[in-house]
Amino acid sequence: MLKKIGLYVLLLLAQNGAEAAVRNFTLHIDNGNLTITGTGGTTLSVWGYGESAGLPTVPAPTLTVNEGDTVNVTVYNHRSAQHNFVIKNVTTDTTAIAANNGSKTYSFTAPAAGTYVYSDTLNTAINREMGLYGALIVRPADNSNTAWTGGPYYDHEKVWVVSEMDKPRWNDVASTGGTVATATYKPNYFMINGLGGFDAMMDNNTMIMGTLWQETLVRVVNAGQFSHSLHFHGNHFQVLSINGVRQPLPFEEWDTINIPPMATAEVLYAINQTGDYPMHVHTAQAEGANGVYLNGAATMIMMH
Amino acid sequence: MKKLTQAIILAALALSAQHIQAAAINKSLCVGSLSKTLYGTSTTGKSVTFWGYSDCGGTSGGGGMGGGGMGGGTATVPGPIMEIGVNDTLNINFSPMGMMTMESAPYNGHTIHLHGADVQTMEDGVPETNGNMVMGDTYTWTPQEGHEGSYMYHCHVHTVKHLEMGMYSAIIVRPKNSSGAFLNQLNTDMATAYNYSQNYILSTVDPAYHTASGDSPVFADYNPSYFLITGKEGRTTSAPAMTLAAAKSKKVAFRLVGLHSTNASFEIKNSSGVLQPFTVYIRDGRALPVAKTVTSLDLSPGQRADVITTLPSTSGTWYPQVTYKKLRANADGTYPAYATAYGKVTF
Repeated sequence: MLKKIGLYVLLLLAQNGAEAAVRNFTLHIDNGNLTITGTGGTTLSVWGYGESAGLPTVPAPTLTVNEGDTVNVTVYNHRSAQHNFVIKNVTTDTTAIAANNGSKTYSFTAPAAGTYVYSDTLNTAINREMGLYGALIVRPADNSNTAWTGGPYYDHEKVWVVSEMDKPRWNDVASTGGTVATATYKPNYFMINGLGGFDAMMDNNTMIMGTLWQETLVRVVNAGQFSHSLHFHGNHFQVLSINGVRQPLPFEEWDTINIPPMATAEVLYAINQTGDYPMHVHTAQAEGANGVYLNGAATMIMMH
Repeated sequence: MKKLTQAIILAALALSAQHIQAAAINKSLCVGSLSKTLYGTSTTGKSVTFWGYSDCGGTSGGGGMGGGGMGGGTATVPGPIMEIGVNDTLNINFSPMGMMTMESAPYNGHTIHLHGADVQTMEDGVPETNGNMVMGDTYTWTPQEGHEGSYMYHCHVHTVKHLEMGMYSAIIVRPKNSSGAFLNQLNTDMATAYNYSQNYILSTVDPAYHTASGDSPVFADYNPSYFLITGKEGRTTSAPAMTLAAAKSKKVAFRLVGLHSTNASFEIKNSSGVLQPFTVYIRDGRALPVAKTVTSLDLSPGQRADVITTLPSTSGTWYPQVTYKKLRANADGTYPAYATAYGKVTF
């Protein structure tokens, strides 16, 4: 009898876990360009991971899986230098993918639901600064709109990959084969999802949008080398997790959160009034593109 | 039975809460220029020009509007610190006149952003979202119960410059008793009672930002050389920015208000340099569900914290201090320090 119940439980578990799947991703490392549009904008020479060969994106594609999935990420390196692919707190192989079309496949079981950051960890911080970073999103095993199984529910989900680039001293130098003096880093472009503020404030994938009482889960990844202090106008948010550490209930409510380099956080922003509000990094220079105000790390919160 | 008692107490509290007089706090603010001589690591002082808010109409509780805002007042950095009670209504009549404190269009004029107040868009002071009048406007906020703590206000026109110029200060939301008097507690939790309270307003100064204007590349790189607590340098323990003469065994509240533009951490050390514990009760104007006792607290730009420490039973001197740090982390995750600004508490 007990055995039968055990079997039944096993079957139920298997059924619940039916969502667990094999997820295959392919990324290609290439040279590319990132254009910040609008006043103060520029075209930055970058190295990035892209879904298609020759088409790198900054940030790299967001990899979205469910907890427990078997994940295979095959990374091709089309550049003439060595690169790697490391998901912080998930994969451990930091050895290089051979230059000139070498490839490697990284296989792992999708870890606990949450937000992770991946990057190229080679060449001091240069490879990362040049654009080789992105987010891994692990949703609950049942793919529900909750931060984790049994965790808080949300209506909308946004991923914000925050970063910055030092064009004259890093991107211009590294992209032309020069040696970057890494002790000096004075980034003059600040981005959310690879966008300056003028674009990010109109980007549907970046803005928080919703109607009264809707909740937005914001998954923040800081792929840069600076700390970024994100201030939300309009309402406080609940702090759900920091660096993958789920916070105890009830959640603390802040209006400003500091995300250190290569750290992640998940916050839940509720719409409790109508109006239009900015969300921006509160440090002076991070609000601009080469000093042009508001074309930096900023987006909008549209509550209707 | 216990539950019933609790219910009765809660009901009584609710009744008494209804009887608390909500006041109208009317303020008139203007803008003026001023200069400060700052030293940093140099022995030769440098005069830096600031813009600051001034109280230009006097205060009247519960009465009509304050003055017309044309009186000018004396601008200070930080600007006037405003204390209001829960359910009070803060009305600010703002008149940013004066050519000395203006940038050219599109960054002419000024606003007041009530940072952390979560007010309606039209009260938020962000000209890009609400068309707030940059040549003068009114701002209103009524903080609710549960929102006690420290907030800030600052200009949200070309914030990268105007905040740096000194257009900032703190708003402290305090609990009140049934007769409408401020309680010496951080909020309605008795555990947050204090004997003394000090406002530590963190800010940093890059003089290049004070002379540049418009969309200048100067604003792409922040190199602060002066580090302030509530407008003063406090470079050494013998020349502290803040002083407090307190009695032994008493409780001191610190209102930490992050108007700086770097990383920072707050600590309290005794005269032997040993870290002293303090308890964080409120962050960003919301009580922490579980208060945290720590010996160091990171405060990033835009954040606030309300903390309390208990002084020892034997006399001595403690040094509350803010270490300002770079935004870029070392490879090991630590942050190089720019400088430490000191306060001093004797007891």
